[in-house]
Amino acid sequence: MLDLTPDMKLFSLRLQDPAVAESLHYEVGQFALVSVFGVGEAAFDISSLDAPRAALEFAVRRVGTLTEALHEMEEGSVVGVRGPFGNCFPMAEYEGRNLVVIGGGSGMAPLRSVVNYVVQPARRERFGQLLILNGARTPADLAFKHEFEKWASSPQTCLELTVDRGDDDWRGRVALIPDVVRELKPSPLDCVAIVCGPPIMIKFTLKALKDLGFADSQLVGTVETKMKCGIGKCGRCNVGDKYVCLDGPVFTFAEIGRFLEEF
Amino acid sequence: MTAQRITRQGLLDWLNGVAAKATLIAPVRVEGIYLFRPIVKIEDIALDYSQSTVPPKEWLFPRSDTLFTIERLDRAYELKPPAAAGPRVLFGIRPCDARALAILDRLFLAEPADNLYEERRQNTVLVGLACARQQLPECFCTSLGGGPQEAANVDVLLAGAGEAYTVTVATEKGQQLLSGATLRDGGEMPPAPSLSNQVPTAGMAERLRLAFNSSYWQRLADRCLGCKMCTYLCPTCHCFDIRDCDVGGHAERVRCWDGCQSALFTKLAGGHNPRASKAARLRQFYAHKYLYFPERFGVTQCVGCGRCAHFCPVNIDIRETLRDLQTLEVCPHGSGETARRREPVGAAFGDSRASA
Repeated sequence: MLDLTPDMKLFSLRLQDPAVAESLHYEVGQFALVSVFGVGEAAFDISSLDAPRAALEFAVRRVGTLTEALHEMEEGSVVGVRGPFGNCFPMAEYEGRNLVVIGGGSGMAPLRSVVNYVVQPARRERFGQLLILNGARTPADLAFKHEFEKWASSPQTCLELTVDRGDDDWRGRVALIPDVVRELKPSPLDCVAIVCGPPIMIKFTLKALKDLGFADSQLVGTVETKMKCGIGKCGRCNVGDKYVCLDGPVFTFAEIGRFLEEF
Repeated sequence: MTAQRITRQGLLDWLNGVAAKATLIAPVRVEGIYLFRPIVKIEDIALDYSQSTVPPKEWLFPRSDTLFTIERLDRAYELKPPAAAGPRVLFGIRPCDARALAILDRLFLAEPADNLYEERRQNTVLVGLACARQQLPECFCTSLGGGPQEAANVDVLLAGAGEAYTVTVATEKGQQLLSGATLRDGGEMPPAPSLSNQVPTAGMAERLRLAFNSSYWQRLADRCLGCKMCTYLCPTCHCFDIRDCDVGGHAERVRCWDGCQSALFTKLAGGHNPRASKAARLRQFYAHKYLYFPERFGVTQCVGCGRCAHFCPVNIDIRETLRDLQTLEVCPHGSGETARRREPVGAAFGDSRASA
């Protein structure tokens, strides 16, 4: 367990059954359901990368009953995990292209694995330029600080940070994410932008990107819905003819735009 | 399919034999309403029942279903699955409710299959009881391709009333179940009852797309109490919640019926609720049944049983909604407002049942 922000922790899970641990494989962007037995279960994006003997990591903000219980747990506690579920970011399709990764607050959780996937030295040259824009309410709320140096030092990679409100020690930007997008003007040419964050931030960030010439098919995000079963039965995540747990959570905004409902 | 007949006494004798080998579940009268319940005395079966208030789906997808029990050990947990259900015979199921189970199959048996539902489904034989009359004033199965004597979704169908029943064997499972029955040749299907309701359902998916942003939903929502009765009593509604319950000393993970009409259904822990308005939730009820489910599974997720209309405390009537959707003048996708209505919404704003 690692404190990421005052209300967000990174949980590292090791599977008890070695055979299950051996057979577990997942893709960037998939999610799993984490159980605190006696309290319940909730869906979280997996923040780690699939690698032999690597822990399964989840970045969890304390917002509800289950996340509260998770945050109260001690190192070494036993939780349950079901998964992986859902589709993934098509990382192979992004090879050879530039990437803009924009995360607002806990929206950085599913994007952390995207960034870590691209900046791995063995893989880095398969991708073009990488712009990471990480925004939060205050400097303390910026997640994954322990990885900033690794990200920023990767070749052809630029890490930009911004906060809504600074503090005495903050020397960086104080601006809203959409305004930073307008200032940095990433080129839409041969580029994919991945955006995750609160709905209002997504709305205005997409507008800024579209003004720069990004098409809906170049804009990718995760649809966050309430989920219970993870296997397309409970109906919670139904949007149009889609079940986010089976068909998502990763969609292009061209696909999201075809939903009749705003989600 | 072959047709034979069985006398009423022959039927009761056969059911006694069935009950000795499997759990027999059939309609009984409980405090003034009909419900499917395990049968202790064969005479308790309400052979002439109209329609069960709660659909028989509850025997495949119970309203509260323990997924596993959780025992806390030292730095570990032991999860125990529930005891498997033995063989069951669901007797007396109406053709619309049987059709509803075939619709639920599409969802629950789609990969990855729901193993609890699948296990119960495999262990259950369905004996249908054709409708000799219209059972609810609001039912409209023939508008959706069903019918009062449909045998397609059961293993055995019985038709008739009084002293003799015509027996239609629809499956191998049904044939086996009937092995101990005294059947006579020459059963003839009784004439089908005429049903009063014809509801226009053709092209409903497109009508829903057109009316998606109509103010119609808000006007309908003005009447709705959000009680979820429609979703609980619907034989095809399948949404559920999953929770951990403390049952004294240990916990159970339980799934229980839930419905899209609840404001909490889509609310995220962080507070965001993409379907926050009652109008959007009501629209979801109709759009899921007549637009989304058909797009994904190829069938309409409604059998016209009429329960949602019959039991709605404020007379929201699906027949009326479907008729309104056919006649609403709407603008193309996404343009927001309904141009003009030709007919008032919910023509029978008073008691819609009186007009049925």
